[in-house]
Amino acid sequence: MDIYEWANQLEQSGLGEWLRSTVRAIPVINSLHVIGLVLVFGTISVVDLRLLGIPSTRRSFKLLAGELLKWTWLAFALAVVTGFLMFTANATTFYDNTQFRIKMVLLVLAGINMLVFELITVRSVHQWDKDQPVPVSAKVAGLLSLVLWMGVIVFGRWVGYTKGAHIDVQSIDFNAINSPFF
Amino acid sequence: MRDFADWLSTTDLSLYIQENNAWFIPGIQSLHIIAIGVLMASILLVNLRILGWVSRDQSLLQTTERYAPWMWGALVVLAVSGVLMIVGEPVRELLALSFWVKMSLLAIGIIVAIAFQISLRRHASAWETSLVSRGRIRSAAVITFLVWCGVAIMGRMIAFDGPFWGSLSPSNLI
Repeated sequence: MDIYEWANQLEQSGLGEWLRSTVRAIPVINSLHVIGLVLVFGTISVVDLRLLGIPSTRRSFKLLAGELLKWTWLAFALAVVTGFLMFTANATTFYDNTQFRIKMVLLVLAGINMLVFELITVRSVHQWDKDQPVPVSAKVAGLLSLVLWMGVIVFGRWVGYTKGAHIDVQSIDFNAINSPFF
Repeated sequence: MRDFADWLSTTDLSLYIQENNAWFIPGIQSLHIIAIGVLMASILLVNLRILGWVSRDQSLLQTTERYAPWMWGALVVLAVSGVLMIVGEPVRELLALSFWVKMSLLAIGIIVAIAFQISLRRHASAWETSLVSRGRIRSAAVITFLVWCGVAIMGRMIAFDGPFWGSLSPSNLI
C-alpha cells in the first residue's frame, strides 16, 4: 500500500480536520505526549542503568525490571496514542520529514534491541540477577537502549523545528512571539 | 518585563544563541527533555513507594536515597538549560503566562520535595511504619506528582501560549 496515500487519507479524515481546527487540541495532546515520553525514558533508564551496574547490582534485576517496565509500557501507550493524534493532524508533513523518519527508525531499533534482550539475553538472568556482574551482552543492551531513546527524544524535538520544511530555518525569528516553530 | 526581555535579547550570550538557533535551541530543548525524564521518573518512583506499589523490598528511606540525588542533579541540568532557553528567547519565555504558571508550580514542587526529604530523615521510622499508610500522605504523593506533571505541561505550553490561554496570554496583548 502507498504510505503517502494512507497518510493523506488520515490527514483528510474527520479526526484530522477536528485536530487542526480545534485551537487547544494539539497543545494539550503535545504536552501529554511529553508526559508520556519523559516517563518512558525515565523509567526505562533506571532499568538500563541497573544493567550497567548503576548504582549497584544489589537489587534483583528481575524484581526491578518487573515493577518498573509496567510503568514504561503505560507511559509508552500514552506517548503512542498522543503521537498518533499529532501525526493524524499533519500526516503528510510528518511523512515527508526526514527527522520524523529517523525517529521512527530509532524507535524500531529500540524495539529490536528490547526483543533480543527479552528473548535471548535475559534467559541467563538467574546467573546475574543479584550481586553478580552483569554479562557484556546485557550491558550492551542497556547502553543501546539509553542511546536509542535519547536519539528518539533528540529527533522528536528536532521534528518541531523542521516540519515546516518550506520555511528557511535561518530566516526565522525564534524570539518572536508565537513563532511558528514549536 | 517586556523591557527586561528586550534588554536580555541584546546581550552577547543571547545574540550568540540567536545566531546559532537552528541547532542550539533544539539541542538545549532535547537536553532539557532528557533531564525532565530523569526528574519525573525519580519523583514517580519515590511517590509510588509511598503508595507501596514499587520497591517494597526497600525502605522508603532507601528508595528516596536511591532517587533523590538524580532528582536534584536533573534539576540542576534543567535550571542551566532552562536559563539558556530564556536568554536565547527571552520574549517568547518571559511574556508567556504558561512560563509563570510553570514557575509557580515548580516552586510548590521544590518546597514539598525539600520538606519531605527533611522530614523523612528526621522521622524515618515514623515514615516507614505509620505515615505511609495515612490517607493524607498518600493523597499528597499523588497530588505532588500531578503538580510536577503540571510543570512539564506548562513548559510545553509556552510554545502555544497565545492559542492555549487566549486573552489571558500576554502575547495576545502586544
